[in-house]
Order: sequence, then C-alpha cells, then structure tokens
Amino acid sequence: MKKLFLILLVSMSSFALFAGGESETVKEEVVNYTFGGSSTVAPIAKSVIPEFEKEYPSVEVGYETLGSSTGIKQLLAGTLSLAGSSRDLKQSELDANCVPTVIALDGLSVGVNASVNISNLSLAQLAAIFSGEITNWSEVGGDDIKIELIERDETSGTYGSFNEIVLESQGKEPTKNAIIAKENGEVATKIASTPGSIGYIGMAFNHIITNAGGKILTIDGVEPSSDNVINKTYPISRALYVVTIGEPKDNTVEKDFIDFLLSKKGQAIVAENEFISIN
Amino acid sequence: MTTIKNNNNKRRVIEQSSRAILLLCALVSIAAVIAITLYIINQGIPFFSKVSLKEFLFSFNWEPSAKENPSYGIGAFILASFEVVILAIVIALPIGLSTAIFLSEFAKGKLSVVIKNTIELLAGIPSIIYGLFGIAIIVPAVRNTFGGNGYSLLSASIILSIMILPTIINISEVSIKSVPDSLRQASIAMGATKWQTIYKVVIPSAVNGIVASIILALGRAIGETTAVLLVGGNSAVFAKTPIDMGRTLTMNIITDMSYAEGTHLSALFATAMLLFLFILFLNFIVVYISSKSRLGQSE
Repeated sequence: MKKLFLILLVSMSSFALFAGGESETVKEEVVNYTFGGSSTVAPIAKSVIPEFEKEYPSVEVGYETLGSSTGIKQLLAGTLSLAGSSRDLKQSELDANCVPTVIALDGLSVGVNASVNISNLSLAQLAAIFSGEITNWSEVGGDDIKIELIERDETSGTYGSFNEIVLESQGKEPTKNAIIAKENGEVATKIASTPGSIGYIGMAFNHIITNAGGKILTIDGVEPSSDNVINKTYPISRALYVVTIGEPKDNTVEKDFIDFLLSKKGQAIVAENEFISIN
Repeated sequence: MTTIKNNNNKRRVIEQSSRAILLLCALVSIAAVIAITLYIINQGIPFFSKVSLKEFLFSFNWEPSAKENPSYGIGAFILASFEVVILAIVIALPIGLSTAIFLSEFAKGKLSVVIKNTIELLAGIPSIIYGLFGIAIIVPAVRNTFGGNGYSLLSASIILSIMILPTIINISEVSIKSVPDSLRQASIAMGATKWQTIYKVVIPSAVNGIVASIILALGRAIGETTAVLLVGGNSAVFAKTPIDMGRTLTMNIITDMSYAEGTHLSALFATAMLLFLFILFLNFIVVYISSKSRLGQSE
C-alpha cells in the first residue's frame, strides 16, 4: 500500500514539475506568417511546418487550403506571402512577377488485376473508365469482364491529383460506384485480389502493386517512371510549386521556408507524403 | 494500550486512504466518459449551424469535398449500418444460441474446454486480422456465390457475425446456466424430454439474458470499423441489395478523418455523435433489461 502511495506521489509530483516547466518557458516575440493555396501541396506544407518551426522558433506559419488559383490570387493581392500551386503558372501570373519554385513531383501509376488483358490505356480511355462511361474491358480492347474501380478516399491528395489530372482535364466527373481504399497497401491488395479491377497509386508505390500480383499500365504508351515525369512525357504527372512575388530574398521567412522544403529533411517529408522528391 | 491505539489509528488511516485511492481510480473512467462525450459534442454541434439536421440524416448525397455545393447527407450510411448489423445478428444468433445451449446443457469435460477456449481466442483476435481474412476468404466466396465484386454489405455482415459470436455465446451461456436446476428437474419430473425442457422451460427463463447478449452484440457490431472497412467496399452510395458495396457510419468517420477540414471535419464528428447516441441507447436497453430480470428473480 505504502509503495503504491509512493508511486502515486512521485508520479504526481513529476507531472506537476513537468507542467510547471512548460508554463515557465519564456515567450519570445513570435511572428505569424500565412501561406496557402493548392490542396495537393497542403499535406506537404502541413507536415513541413512543424519541423520548420522547430528550427525557427520565433516564426509561426500557417497554411490555408484554398486551391491553387485562389492561392495565387491572394498572393497577388498581398494576403499571402507564399502560395502553393499544383499547376503551371499562367503567362499573366508570370507577367505579374510570380516566381514558381518546384518543390516536388506528383505522378500516379495505374494498376490492373492480372486477369485484365490490357497493357496500355490512353488518357481519354482512363477518364471514361473512372467517370463510369466505360464499364467493360471489352470496350477498350480487352476481354468481356466488368470493370471494378478502386479509388482512394476523397480527402487524400492522391484522389485529388488523379481527378484533376485525368478527369477534370477531360471535363469529366468521377463515378461514386467504386471500391474506396484508404491506403496504398489496401489499393494494391484489392487490385491483386479483385478480378477485372483497376486502381491508381502514387508512383513511388509501383512495386507494391506488382509485388501483390497486379500489373502496371503504360498510359499513352509511356511507362510511369521518375524520368518520364521529369521529362514530362508521362501524362498523369505534374510538378508542385511554391510561388512567391519576385525571387525569394535572403533572410526572409519565405526564402528560409523554400530552402527548408528543398533540403534533405524537406524532401524526405515530400516522399513521406507519397510524392516524388526532386533530388 | 497506546500501541494498540496507535495501531488502530494507523489501520484507520490506511483503510481510509486506500478507499480514497480506489475511489479516485474509479472516477477516472467516469471522467473519461464525460470528457469524450463533451469533446465529441463540442466538435460536432457547430456542424448543425451550417447544415440542417434533416439534410444530414435523410439526404443520401455525400459529397463533402465538392467544390460547389458540398453536401453532407449520411442517410445511406445510417441504413447501411443497420442493414449490416441486423444481417450479422440474423447470421450469428442461431449459431451463437445453439452453441450456448450445447455448452450449458450438454458439453462435458475436454470437449467443452476446447470449445470455450476457442471462443475466447475468437474474441481476442484483432479486427484487422478479421478484415484481412475477409479480403482473402469471404470476399471471393461472396463474389463466386452471389456475383458482384464481393466487396459488399453482406461480406461485412459475415465478418461481423463471426466477431460477435463470443459475445452472444458467453452471455447467453451464463444466463442459461443461471436458470435454477429445480426448474429443469420439475420439467423432467412432469415427463418432458430433455429437448422439451430446454426450449419450453430453460430458454424462456433465460430470455432476458439472451436478449441482453443480442443488444451487446449489436453495440459491438455497430461500432466495429477496421474489419468492415476492408470488406464493405466503402463506396459512398446507397446499397440497394446486400451484395452491393456500401459504407457504414464508422467507415465514413475513419475514411476521411485524416485530412478532413472545416465543415467536412465537423460532419465526421456529427456522424460520431450519432453513433455515440446509438451505443448509448443500446446500453440503456441492456441496463433496463438486466434491472428487470433482477427484479423478476427477487419476487
């Protein structure tokens, strides 16, 4: 009993000490910065910011998910000092002195079940399949098997990227009649185990589809690989940017933040978030 | 004399302080329940200032991340949740109840020990394992038997029915065993066979416990997440038949939780509130039934 009491006492007092210590830390002048823009860049920004703030304790950074276009608009209006963008800048934006810096590459691979007798699809066919217009493999030159779609959850960056690059570019909407998988591993497992299935995955995860027994397709005849993303031949890919007004100047938080994004640590976070790091 | 008095004092202090410590520990769980309730309500309530309760509960349109006019209807998920758990009970009840009767009335010695240990084991298997088992075995079986792609509410129900078997068996068995032997003996003495005794005397006497086991199983089933997520298909549409894909309340919460923001996030908490209300309601029923059966025994 005594022992228990002692343990309780010690743990309580140590807790009090801990709590006390925390409240006593001297608060420095903290400067707030608001960045924002692309929802694809958001997961990268949001995992980079806590690490960045650790290295620059006097700075507090926020990232608002607004969409690429709204982000750049607000950057030009002066509401934001740095914007994330998942699309190339328009000429008008470049003329207004916007400077984009590539921070990561975004590329998606399309995998199919081993039963699917097809090795290549065009971007237009892919859009028709994922919008639910084509529902049988025979319509794209395969066997007479029903197509089973495997999609990612709506809030994932992968879902957003796929829909923007593949569907929105063709003016199509995703169908809801799809199996929704939460993780890349789940996508791979379900592609491997469901006859007639097709799904997409961050390019960094090609191997988990092939390991599970699925096949990776070429799109418009191009293989998904980092090289083909960098030379811009693979269609389901794009660069992710942060945008500043004018070249980022030394000793500004924006410049520090971009340098941090491009550092080894920053690029590791890029990879953690299922994008392709640029080095 | 003084030493005895000192000892008495010391004992009283130990007695009282240990009582206080035990009480404190008991209060931890109450505090946890209150904290969880307040947290969920606090996060979920703001949602209803943006979307009406009617749209939330009865609309079948779930498009929280649509750029224009996002909609937050979870009607399809509520129906899917009920469909899945009711189907699971329909599958599990005959098997569970039969097992409970066998264990309490017939099984003896080694066989009974083996069955009981296996059921314990069943209860201890993590739900992710059930889910993987479902992808590997149940989904292909449903696909080959009923058609469709196999990821379906039916697959989720089958997985759930296995998961809730231990709950139904254990509680039913205890309540069947607690039927006084005098009732059985009286029935046999009147010339009834063993089987007649079971279904005319023993089961009716144990019915409260059996109902309680069903309700607790319902609670477990409606809250289960990982296993059903892996086999249910999780598409945000209304499942017209059990072999269609669907999404339950728990699946909806877990699917979008990682990145959801703003109204979308509070919609997930509102979903959690609803789930919490269901569980609370089920627990009240169990408490009600057990208090009634206790009264019945004392009369």
